[in-house]
Amino acid sequence: MTPSPSKRSTSLSRRLREYRRSPISLVLRVAVMVSTLLTVALFVYLVGYIFMRGLPYLKPSLFEPVYTSQNVSLIPALVNTLTMTLLSLLLAGPVGVFASVYLVEYATRGSRWVTVVRRAAETLSGIPSILYGLFGTLFFVNFLGWGYSLLAGAFTLAIMILPLIMRTSQEALQAVPDSYREGSYGLGAGKLRTLFCIVLPSAVPGILSGIILSMGRILGETAALVYTAGTVAQIPDLMGSGRTLAVHMWALYSEGLYMNEAYATAIILVGLVFVIQALATAIARKLTKG
Amino acid sequence: MQQIRERLFRRLIILCTWASLVAVGLICLFLLLSGLPALMEIGPLRFLLGTEWRPLAGLYGILPMIMGSIWVTAGAMAMGLPVGLLTAVFLARFCPEWLHRILSPMVGLLAAIPSVVYGFFGIAVLVPAVRQIGGHGSSMFTAMLLLAIMILPTVISVSEAALRAVPDSYYEGALALGATHERSVFFTVLPAARSGVLAGVVLGVGRAIGETMAVVMVAGNQPRMPKGLLAGVRTLTANIVLEMGYAVDLHRGALIATGLVLFIFILLLNQLLASITRKEER
Amino acid sequence: MKHLFGRTAIIAMLLLSLLVGCAPAEQSSTPEGGDTPAKPELIQVITREEGSGTRSAFVELSGVEQKDASGTKMDHTTVEATTSNSTSVVLATVMQGPAAIGYVSMGSLSDGVKALDVEGVKATAENVQNGSYKLARPFNIATKGEVSAQTEDFIRFILSNQGQVIAEETGYVAIEAQGDYEAAGASGKIVVSGSSSVTPVMEKLKEAYVALNPDVNIEVQQSDSTTGMTNAIDGICDIGMASREVKDSELEKGLDATVIAMDGIAVIVHPENSVPGLTMEQIKDIFVGTITDWNEVK
Repeated sequence: MTPSPSKRSTSLSRRLREYRRSPISLVLRVAVMVSTLLTVALFVYLVGYIFMRGLPYLKPSLFEPVYTSQNVSLIPALVNTLTMTLLSLLLAGPVGVFASVYLVEYATRGSRWVTVVRRAAETLSGIPSILYGLFGTLFFVNFLGWGYSLLAGAFTLAIMILPLIMRTSQEALQAVPDSYREGSYGLGAGKLRTLFCIVLPSAVPGILSGIILSMGRILGETAALVYTAGTVAQIPDLMGSGRTLAVHMWALYSEGLYMNEAYATAIILVGLVFVIQALATAIARKLTKG
Repeated sequence: MQQIRERLFRRLIILCTWASLVAVGLICLFLLLSGLPALMEIGPLRFLLGTEWRPLAGLYGILPMIMGSIWVTAGAMAMGLPVGLLTAVFLARFCPEWLHRILSPMVGLLAAIPSVVYGFFGIAVLVPAVRQIGGHGSSMFTAMLLLAIMILPTVISVSEAALRAVPDSYYEGALALGATHERSVFFTVLPAARSGVLAGVVLGVGRAIGETMAVVMVAGNQPRMPKGLLAGVRTLTANIVLEMGYAVDLHRGALIATGLVLFIFILLLNQLLASITRKEER
Repeated sequence: MKHLFGRTAIIAMLLLSLLVGCAPAEQSSTPEGGDTPAKPELIQVITREEGSGTRSAFVELSGVEQKDASGTKMDHTTVEATTSNSTSVVLATVMQGPAAIGYVSMGSLSDGVKALDVEGVKATAENVQNGSYKLARPFNIATKGEVSAQTEDFIRFILSNQGQVIAEETGYVAIEAQGDYEAAGASGKIVVSGSSSVTPVMEKLKEAYVALNPDVNIEVQQSDSTTGMTNAIDGICDIGMASREVKDSELEKGLDATVIAMDGIAVIVHPENSVPGLTMEQIKDIFVGTITDWNEVK
């Protein structure tokens, strides 16, 4: 990447002289610093606030395997969150990536068809999640008769993250230089071999970043899930109803009976998001290096 | 053998493309099919320009909510954009490597905090803070503040990527001509990253206008025309999420039509984004 | 220069985390942000969304809802009212709002708010039971047509002595119980859905029932009264919960309603509010918007 400009060794006195000559530079620098500090401050305050409120209530009873109204355990919700994430990614991941492969590698570049699909995906990625929730209720829950179930929730979320995965995968595939492909063909590899051995591996970090973003959306989603996967605090089979962590938090909070536990759950949720992000960044770094 | 595999794979990915198109199509179709009849029954003008929303009395005017969404989004952009953009500039051009390694995951985490948590924060911290200024606390201004915070990560990450994509030669050229570091960044690099930054702005607007769970906790949700910064306001999304649970018949249709209006807003935004990028490409 | 940046940033971050560390402590001592310059007097009315059973029971009992000329019931809650779709947001807003007034289920009352007397009667379970506290409503469950054996058995449990003891322990008011319940070895699945006010007591009932009938699996879906009734009509759930009377229009669609407990609706204000109680008329005027200043009721 770009070498960081601040690495230039400028002595302080010279810098001050520059500022005297061009006061606007000083103003700009201060503005930049202040904004960054503000962002950092907001972050620290937000996360700090959640921890302050929740940490005292992060008790072992929150981690008992079965939810009761006594312990308000978050374990069922945690398991559901993981199932839901996995399921939606399994549904949307392959479809999204393969569709991008078609659009980038197979379809004629710049054709009308490609533009239509891309525009559609862009549009979808901007739809608020509440609309996906509406759709999921009417289509999966009522029309297909699945009832409130993990499956209905997972399908709804899969459709929700599909555009995101498609957009990032397309960008990643397009960023692979054509010389790679030409080189592979030149060595006598077929189209499939080129795709799976050369193009896809180079695009993995980009595709992965799309998947991480989707995970973030799934983990934090409430509006689309309340009316599709329901709010039961249990570990159900696929056709049963279960709440994810975010929904669990919302449900704990909404009746005003378990506010402290809601904050404690928020800590776990934020922690989960952080761990997944760190993991994904580490994987991406390893892949780009390797 | 090779050929069969090739052909099978081709089939598979075409199927996937269709599947995604069908998913997109289904949502649009569903929104239109369930929203349009209600829209027609109420009358498009009475629906869009009506200033009274009283479903139980058969009054379905969503102008207050349209104005509410526009105001809240504009306010959030006015506050969030400068901070976000300047932070992006810092991250891209002022920040030492080691600090970047701390700040960049932080921005990522900020983006991934669920909106319900932002809602908690809003009601426990922002609402009392705004009450000190005046009014009851649950107000348009509170919603703007909260959304300004929530769009920060979007604006920051997209703009930062755009700034980093600008070739170094721009920056170095400006330096060589005797500009200071700051001048080079703000007057050559930033203009060069214009289209990427604009994309960040549009995405930020999209997030702000579509945010639901957090806004509904702090905005007050009065279904009447916005009456000022410190009075409550109801947005389009809040209207849907507040009433969707129990709405039936025409009321439900009207809510889906509200979603349709929201959808059209997003569509317009995307169109704007597309035309910006096209202009840049030329 | 690199170091200069680094140091400033670190120091700033440290200072900020210190600030954060102190802030919540300050807040807990004065949860209402007590240093407001002058005591605001303009009333902040907080109401629930229209699908809420608490709201429909409240507006009906207080007279905010009135029949218009053609005989249809109209909810006259002022448009200036802050609308919230959860009890906790009502509680949190009142806890921090010196001028706020709202209403919640008695079972959800917490220390940070003050429940007003209504017509001079304290908001307690006893007063709901003996009928002197007027803002009381039934918790209903509704079923449609023939119900499964396990659902019938569960309802028998809810109405039994054991079931009603649980309702009372959760902070609600029991109804006349129908004898003791004995487990009959029921099995299967029951889906319960509806009012978030009824959900807490339903969860307790479920836990006690499942302890007696381990083969029964009960799912409790939390949303609102109207959703619960709609779900019961659509067959999405076996039992719908409503924290209000079941409406005629809902009964017409084939629902059978059973009262499982009584609950009072507490009118809540900020703890520092000096108003001890209100009459029903005053409550109505406040929520309709004809009284807008606390000084008018002091």
